[in-house]
Amino acid sequence: MLRLKIAFRVLVFVTFGLLLHYVLPQHDVVRIGSTEVIRTDFSGFNRMFYAQADSGGVEQPTRDLRLINTDKKNTFFLGFVARDTTEVMVYRNEDTGWIWPPYFKFDSSDLQAEASSVARGDSWAVLTHYGWRVRWASIYPNAISVRIVDSPDVRIIPWFNIFFFVFLVAGIAFLRAMWMQFRERAVDLLLDTAGHHYDEASAGMAKRRGRMLRWLDTWRAKDKR
Amino acid sequence: MAFVRLVVFGFLALSVIYLSVAVYSRSVRREKLEKAWAEDNPASTDMSAHDAFVAKGITDYNASYRPKLIALVYVVPTVIVAGIVYITNTN
Repeated sequence: MLRLKIAFRVLVFVTFGLLLHYVLPQHDVVRIGSTEVIRTDFSGFNRMFYAQADSGGVEQPTRDLRLINTDKKNTFFLGFVARDTTEVMVYRNEDTGWIWPPYFKFDSSDLQAEASSVARGDSWAVLTHYGWRVRWASIYPNAISVRIVDSPDVRIIPWFNIFFFVFLVAGIAFLRAMWMQFRERAVDLLLDTAGHHYDEASAGMAKRRGRMLRWLDTWRAKDKR
Repeated sequence: MAFVRLVVFGFLALSVIYLSVAVYSRSVRREKLEKAWAEDNPASTDMSAHDAFVAKGITDYNASYRPKLIALVYVVPTVIVAGIVYITNTN
């Protein structure tokens, strides 16, 4: 039972972690080589790794996709430790629109223009993106913004992610406090009253009651201290 | 259309949050009042005086500025979304 519980928790943690890793913004130091547009036919599987048609447009089974081709500086540990090597990285450039993920990006064309102008020179740029590059399923990370930097050794502070995680921890703590309050003030009282009525009604059925309460106890959280 | 959907479902989600926070906040206040009463009148068995004290405290709470602050649940996400829209779409 304990092992099952641990396995379940690990599964939830990993799923949630992967979701956040996909959705939260990350910053890459890149040198943009070129930009291009390719026609894309989505499959049932990789469709969910793409956003929708440009905002204001209509969704079709097939459409053009803006791409940004770059050389990207490699890093360790989610971008915290820089490395000397570079690798090829291709980003898509799609409107996220009003829905998911909530970047509210409508300026894909402008971003493509910016990327093209960066590509004309030889300068390094910081490219903010979310998502993964999965070669075997033709999935690309989505570029959000690009800015030119003087040297590839810039220090990038992920302000948004810092605020996000602080807020997440505060939110979980608040939710927990709310739940505890709810249990203390409503559920426990209700169970007490219910138990009380039961006592009065069936004084002679002590054995059954014991079984009932024992079953009820299996639904309560174990004492954590 | 997507914008309408965001507004409708966002409003519903925020309303759920608003209601739960409002109930939670009032519940915490009520508990505080009950504890304050028990501290001031340790031997009292006068339940009607106890209830009157708590009811008065809740009325005072309802009239205070604190429950109105919970409306920030609607304001803050709207401001954040507007901020993200602006930051993402300016060059």
